[in-house]
Amino acid sequence: MSTYPQPHEDAINAPLLAAWREGRLALQRCKGCGKAIFYPRPMCPHCWSEALEWFDASGRGTIVAYSLVFKPHNEAFDAELPVILVEVELEEKALMLSRIVGAKPDAVRSGLKVKLVPMPDAKRYPLPTFCLA
Amino acid sequence: MEREIGIVGYGQTPYTKRATQPLIAYLGEATRRALASAGLGRADVDGLAVGAFQLPPDNAVTLAEQFGITVSFAWFFTAGGAGSVSAVMAAMRAIEAGQADVVVCVAGDCYDVGAHYRLMGNFNQALSNYALPHGFGGPNGLFALVTRKHMERYGTTREQFGRICVGQRASAVLNDNAMLRSPMTMDDYLNARMIADPLRLYDCVLPCAGAEAVVVAALDRVPKAKRVRVRAAREQHNHPPGEVAPLHIGAALFRDRLYADAGMGPQDMQFVQAYDDYPVMVAIQLEDLGYFGPGEAPSFLAKHSFAWNGSFPLNTGGGQLSCGQTGAGGGMIGLWEAVAQLRHEAGARQIKGVTRGLVSGYGMVGYGHGLGSAAIILERAA
Repeated sequence: MSTYPQPHEDAINAPLLAAWREGRLALQRCKGCGKAIFYPRPMCPHCWSEALEWFDASGRGTIVAYSLVFKPHNEAFDAELPVILVEVELEEKALMLSRIVGAKPDAVRSGLKVKLVPMPDAKRYPLPTFCLA
Repeated sequence: MEREIGIVGYGQTPYTKRATQPLIAYLGEATRRALASAGLGRADVDGLAVGAFQLPPDNAVTLAEQFGITVSFAWFFTAGGAGSVSAVMAAMRAIEAGQADVVVCVAGDCYDVGAHYRLMGNFNQALSNYALPHGFGGPNGLFALVTRKHMERYGTTREQFGRICVGQRASAVLNDNAMLRSPMTMDDYLNARMIADPLRLYDCVLPCAGAEAVVVAALDRVPKAKRVRVRAAREQHNHPPGEVAPLHIGAALFRDRLYADAGMGPQDMQFVQAYDDYPVMVAIQLEDLGYFGPGEAPSFLAKHSFAWNGSFPLNTGGGQLSCGQTGAGGGMIGLWEAVAQLRHEAGARQIKGVTRGLVSGYGMVGYGHGLGSAAIILERAA
């Protein structure tokens, strides 16, 4: 099995990637305006406060839209086509691109609830990844 | 008396499925052709605006060195498929400010399918870090999300989107430079190979190699029949902020000012050239540019035909969906076609007696959707 492309770790996203290695979804929250933020930023995109704190999100959300990707153009995914690409609205209201694993493609619908892939399967995936709830 | 600034030349290279020459050669060829169409030459150029994803580490200044010209205005696009309209706006401001007299705006890339995916894997930091590791499928995956949302929220059908693609193909049949110019039926469109459900093959642009250029200068540099006046232009980027796959673009914010500046409305346009990486984005541009009300794309698409001689002439050279996408040149193809039409030089697909039209640019995929939006209203000056 070839390895998935990996995110580039830096000072801004390190807490996200460290939490996911333990199967948790960490998000930033702005102490200024209270909003949850994804993807990780150096300042709040809503109010430009630099006072951001990390917290453990619930790991639950809702599918806003999805696609079945048959040509990811990366051989790491060739054994698991189609990739079920989703836009997820997290319970904390942040939007995230992710994928659904462990589901039949025709079982996926907009509006369905999703939850994080649990450990130890989570370890396979380089970023927070979901399954149907 | 103040001289009016506008578009005085346009040039296009042949499109090829794979690059037959380096990018800088394509950019040079488009530049020479654009200047020739204006009766101008190398010695006249004192400004250069360039858009090409593959140009870095080169830039507008090093391109001037490659071309062997000295320039007093050098500008490198940043808004993808919206960048070419933005470039014309920047060139006009530079000329009005006295910074330059003749600015070539050139865009293109040596795209093919492989190069396109290599580029999309490293397009911007957020995509590389947070989408590529999911196998997101490049823009096909992202615009499949937008398309699904449009279908589920508004009830748009694949057949309605297909009317855009089929109509444009009918125009491409008359365009020798289109990569795809055999006739296409609705059945061909609906039954094509699945790429990223709900997108099939003919929903997706074909990456290719090539370049386009336009020349911005005082209109009196060229004979009257070759003058294309700019009535209004606006741009707006990263709207709406914070969304991944929205059904609106920046045009929603500038539309009213654009038409007010022009003293015209959407119904006064005799064609629209709208950035067509995917048909859903054409529908979204048309909504945000005022052609129908919120969520009314299904009835508009069902009612109109979109070939050059249809009830709504759209991307009258076939657009990127039939001609191919030359990377950043995808933002210039609509300007090129608009100038050809307004100079009455569009050959077999010429709209008879056409005097004005709208070009809408869109692009620069971020974390999800395209962030850039720009539009320009052009008019035949003769």
